[in-house]
Amino acid sequence: MTAIATRPETEHRGTTAPPARRRDSERLFNRVALGTLIALAVLWLVPLAWALATSVRPAQEVVTNPTGWFTAHPTLKAYGEIFDAGKLPYWYANSFITSILTTVLTVIMASLAAFALSQTRFRLRRAAFVMLLAGIMIPGQVLMIPQFLALQSAGLLNTYWGVVLPQVPNVVAVFVFKQFFDGIPRELIDAARADGAGWLRTYWQIVMPISRPAVSAVTIFVFVGVWNNFLWPLLVVTDPEMMTLPVGLTSVQDVFGVPYAQLMASAVLGAIPLLAVFALFQRRIVEGIAGTGLK
Amino acid sequence: MRDRIPTPSPPAPSRRRVLRGGLALGASGAAALTATGCGSTLAQGFTGGAPSPSRLNFWNPFTGGDGERMLAMQDAYRASHRSVDLKSATFLWGNPYYTKLTLATLGDRPPQAAVIHLSKLPTLAEAGLLTALHPEDLARHGLTEDKFDARPWRKSQFNGKPHAVPLDTHPFVLYFRTDIAEKAGLLDNKGQLADVDGPDAFIDVLRAAKEVTGAWGGSIASVKDASMQFRIFWSLYRQIGGGDLVADQGKRVVIDTAAAAEALAYIRRLSEEKVIPANTDGKGAITLLTTGKAGFLMDGVWQALAVQSAKVKFDMRPLPRIFKDAPYACAADSHALVLPKAPSAKAQRLDLSLGFAASMLHSSKLWAEGGHVPAWLPTQRSRAYEELEPQSHYATAADGAVYDPAAWYGGAGGTMQTVVGDVVTTVFTGDASPTAGAARLRRELRTLASRPAPV
Amino acid sequence: MLLPFALFYLVFLVGPLIYTVIAGFFDTSLLRSGLGDFAGLSNYKAVLGDAEFWRTLGNTLWFTVLTTVPLVVLSLVLALLADRFVRGRWFFRFAFFAPFVLPSAVVSLLFMFIYADQLGLAQEAVKWFGVDTPPSWLGDPDWAMLSIAAATVWWTVGFNFVLYLAGLQDVPREVHEAAAIDGAGPWQRIRHVVVPMLGRTTTLVTVLQVIASLKVFDQIYMMTSGGPDGSTRPSLQLIYDTGFVEGRVGYASTVSLLLFVVILFVSLVWFALVRRAEKEN
Repeated sequence: MTAIATRPETEHRGTTAPPARRRDSERLFNRVALGTLIALAVLWLVPLAWALATSVRPAQEVVTNPTGWFTAHPTLKAYGEIFDAGKLPYWYANSFITSILTTVLTVIMASLAAFALSQTRFRLRRAAFVMLLAGIMIPGQVLMIPQFLALQSAGLLNTYWGVVLPQVPNVVAVFVFKQFFDGIPRELIDAARADGAGWLRTYWQIVMPISRPAVSAVTIFVFVGVWNNFLWPLLVVTDPEMMTLPVGLTSVQDVFGVPYAQLMASAVLGAIPLLAVFALFQRRIVEGIAGTGLK
Repeated sequence: MRDRIPTPSPPAPSRRRVLRGGLALGASGAAALTATGCGSTLAQGFTGGAPSPSRLNFWNPFTGGDGERMLAMQDAYRASHRSVDLKSATFLWGNPYYTKLTLATLGDRPPQAAVIHLSKLPTLAEAGLLTALHPEDLARHGLTEDKFDARPWRKSQFNGKPHAVPLDTHPFVLYFRTDIAEKAGLLDNKGQLADVDGPDAFIDVLRAAKEVTGAWGGSIASVKDASMQFRIFWSLYRQIGGGDLVADQGKRVVIDTAAAAEALAYIRRLSEEKVIPANTDGKGAITLLTTGKAGFLMDGVWQALAVQSAKVKFDMRPLPRIFKDAPYACAADSHALVLPKAPSAKAQRLDLSLGFAASMLHSSKLWAEGGHVPAWLPTQRSRAYEELEPQSHYATAADGAVYDPAAWYGGAGGTMQTVVGDVVTTVFTGDASPTAGAARLRRELRTLASRPAPV
Repeated sequence: MLLPFALFYLVFLVGPLIYTVIAGFFDTSLLRSGLGDFAGLSNYKAVLGDAEFWRTLGNTLWFTVLTTVPLVVLSLVLALLADRFVRGRWFFRFAFFAPFVLPSAVVSLLFMFIYADQLGLAQEAVKWFGVDTPPSWLGDPDWAMLSIAAATVWWTVGFNFVLYLAGLQDVPREVHEAAAIDGAGPWQRIRHVVVPMLGRTTTLVTVLQVIASLKVFDQIYMMTSGGPDGSTRPSLQLIYDTGFVEGRVGYASTVSLLLFVVILFVSLVWFALVRRAEKEN
C-alpha cells in the first residue's frame, strides 16, 4: 500500500525467438498451453451458458430433462413471468439510484480528502494520514450491527440514504486519488495558487480535470461494488419495493416451487447490467486493476 | 468479498464518452420510471415517507404448495375490495422471514398485515413487535372467540390478550399411495390403512410397501431439511412421553434423554432397515411418492397440493400412533395473521388490516384445499369441508397437535429446529448413535438455554 | 476539505468500532433500546467458551485455505499460459474475469442450480466419470464447503488472473531471451526465472485473498445458510445470526471484535511483509 507507483506499460511480449534446436519443444509447449487454456476458458463459460440455455427452455422440459442444453421450442416465457411479478423494475431502479448516489458522493469526498492530504500542508496532516491508513484495516462488514443501529435511530432504514451513506467512507478510494494527485507536477498547483486561486478552485478547476483516469477508475469500481453489495442492503432494506437487485432476486420468493427456468432467467437478468458494463469498459477495468496501487 | 479498488494507469480518456452515455441512458431510464408511476415509491426512497393510505402491504412465508391458494385468497379479497391496493410479498420460510419481519418493524416500515406461526408468537409479542388486538375491534369484523378452534385461539393469546387471528392448524401427517397400499394388502374393507400403529407394525407396513414398489417403503426429507427431521423427532418424543424439551421460556433444559434416545433409535431403525432412504431432500421425498418409488411419505399437510398435482392415487391420514406411552401427539403449528407494530395509527390502518384478516378467514375453504386444517369453525364444521378429500381425513390430527417448545430461540424454522433437526439427521443417516445423539441434543439445548434472552 | 470525508469516516467507521467495543461489555439487545445490563467480561467468557464460535472460526479458516490456495495457484498458471499469447487474450480475459463482475446473488443462484440434487449439472457431470450415486453437493456436510469453495474460485479467479497478467508485464523481455540463449526450455524459464520475479504480486494476491475469504458471507448465506449441520457457517454469519436473527447485540459485538482482531492480524502481517520487501529493494 505504501509503495504506490504506476508502472509504465511495457509492450506486449510475444513468444521469444529461441535457438533452432529449442523450437520444437517451444512449439509443443505452446500447443499444450493453448489447449489447456481453451479448455479451461470454455469450462469457465459453462455456468453462464447453461443459465442462459435453461432460461429459454419451456418449464416442463426443464423438469423432464433438467440437464439438457438445447430446446426445440425456445421461449421467453420465464422472463415474462419475472417481469409480471412486478418488482423487477423497482429493483433495477433502486440498484441504479443507490449505486450512482454512492459513487458520486464517494468520488467527491474521497478526492477532496486526497487533495488535502496530497497538496496542502496542515497540522495533524501526518496523524490524519496514519488514521486513514488504519481505516484500511477495518473490515466494514464486522461493523454491521452498530451501523444498523445508527441508521435505525436516524430513521434512515428503508431509504436510499440508509443504503448509501455507510458505503461512502471508502478509504481505498482516497488512496487511489492521493496516489494520482501525488504525481501532479508541483509547479501546476503553485502557478494556480500564484494566480490567486483558492484551494477549492485549484482542486476543481486544475486538479480534477486532469484526474479523469482516477475518477473513472474509482467510479467503475465503487459502482460495481455497491451494485453487488448484498449483506448491507439485506439488513437496511426490508420493503420489497425498496430492495436492490441482488437482495430482491434472492429474498423475495415466488409461490409453489419456483421453476428453474425462471430462477435462471433471474440470474441472467441480474447478470446483464454488469456484464454490459464490463463489456464496455473491459480494457479500462483491467488496466485499472493492472496499475493497482496495492502493489 | 471484493472491496478492492485499483488505481488508474495513465489516461485513456476516450472511454469517457461511453461512460457519460451510459449514465445518461440510466438517468433517462430512471426518469421514465418516475413518470410511469413507480415515481412515488422512488421518492419515498429518498424521504422515507409512508405509502398512500389505500395501500395494504401483506407479507407471508408461503413458498410451498399452499402459496398458490394464498394467491387465490388474495384475489378474492381484491375482487371485493377494489379501492384497496393490496401488495403481497413472499419470503423464504423460517429465520430469513422472521428476521425480515423483525428488522422491518424495528425500521418503522412493517407490512400492515403478516402471517406468522403461532410457535413464534410469544417471542415476537414479548419483543413488542406485534399490535395487541382488542376484542371490540375484532368483534367489529366478526372475529369472535366462539368462531375459532380452541387450540390455536389459545395459542394466539399473549399476556391474556389476543395478538393474532389464527388461520389454521397444520400437522405433520402421513401420505400414502392407495394403489400401492392395496397391492400390499394394507387396506381394510373401508379402504383405510389397518394396523399402522405401534413401532413394529409401522415398519412392517413400510416393508410391505417396499416389496410392491421395489425401491422404498416410505420417504421423508432429511437432506437440507432440519425442520422435517425435527418434526418426526418431536412427534415420536412426545408420543413416548418425553414431555417438554425446555422450560421457563427456554431458560432451563428438561429434556428426557432416555425418551429422546428411544425416539432417535426408532428413527434410525427406519433407515437402517432400509424402508426409508436417508439421502432425500424435500422435493425428492415427494417425488419418490408420486413416482411410485415409495408408498408412504411423512410430511406436512401443506404439500397436499404438490402431491395432488402429480395426479396419482393417494390418501392422507394422521401420523400413526407409533408409541402409546403418552396421549397421541404429532408435531404441528398454526398460521395466524398479525398486525406488526406500525410507527403510527395512520400507518397501522387497523380496520383495513382486520378487514383483510376477516376476508382471509372467509376464504378458509380455499386454504383448507391447500392442506391446512382451518381454524375458522364456520368452515371447519361445514359440509363442504367434510366432503373435501383427502383434506378432511386428517382433521383429527389437529387434536393431537403439539406446538414447538416455547423458547425465544424456538418456533418454526428457528434455531431450535435447526439445531435439534441437525442432530436427528446425523442419527438418521447413521453418523451418530441414538444415545450419542440424545446426549448431544441435551448439550446443544443447554448451550442455547444458557444464552441471555434478548427479549 | 478533509472534513466531509472525516465526518463520514468518524460516523460510519470509528464510531461503530467504539460502539462494538463497548457493547461487548453489555447484554445489549436488538429488541430493547439502550445498552442493557452491564455484563462485564461475561460475553467474552461465553464467546471464547462457545464451541460454535470456534467452529465457525474453523469453518472460516477452512474456507480461506480452500479458496486461497487454488485462487493463487490457478490464477498464476492461467496468467503464465495466457501471457504467451497476444492474440485471443481478450477471450481468456473475458472468460476468466467476467464472473468477477457478477453479484454474489447471481453466482449463488447459478450454483444452487448446478449443485441441485438429481437435476444439477454437477451430479450429472460426475456420472460421466462412472460415479453412480453422486453426493448431494450442498446437502452433505463433507461436500458442502468444498462445493461453495469451488463456486467461489469460479467467481473470483479472474481478479487474481488480471493482477498476475499485469505482474508479468514487468518481467523484462531480455530476461526471457537471456535464459532462452542459456538453453532453458519454456518450463525451466517459467519456474526459475519468471515465477521468482512475481514474488511481490504473489504476496499481494495472497494477502488480499486471505482477507477477502475471512469475510465470506454472501454465497454461503444464500446457498446453504450455514448448513448442513453448521458445516459451512462462517464467522460473519455467526455475527449476523446472533445479532440480527436472535437479537443478541452484546454477544454479536464480542464476536465482531474478535473477528476484527483476526483480520487485523493478517493485515499487519501483510504490512510487515511489504515493509521488508521495500527495504530489500
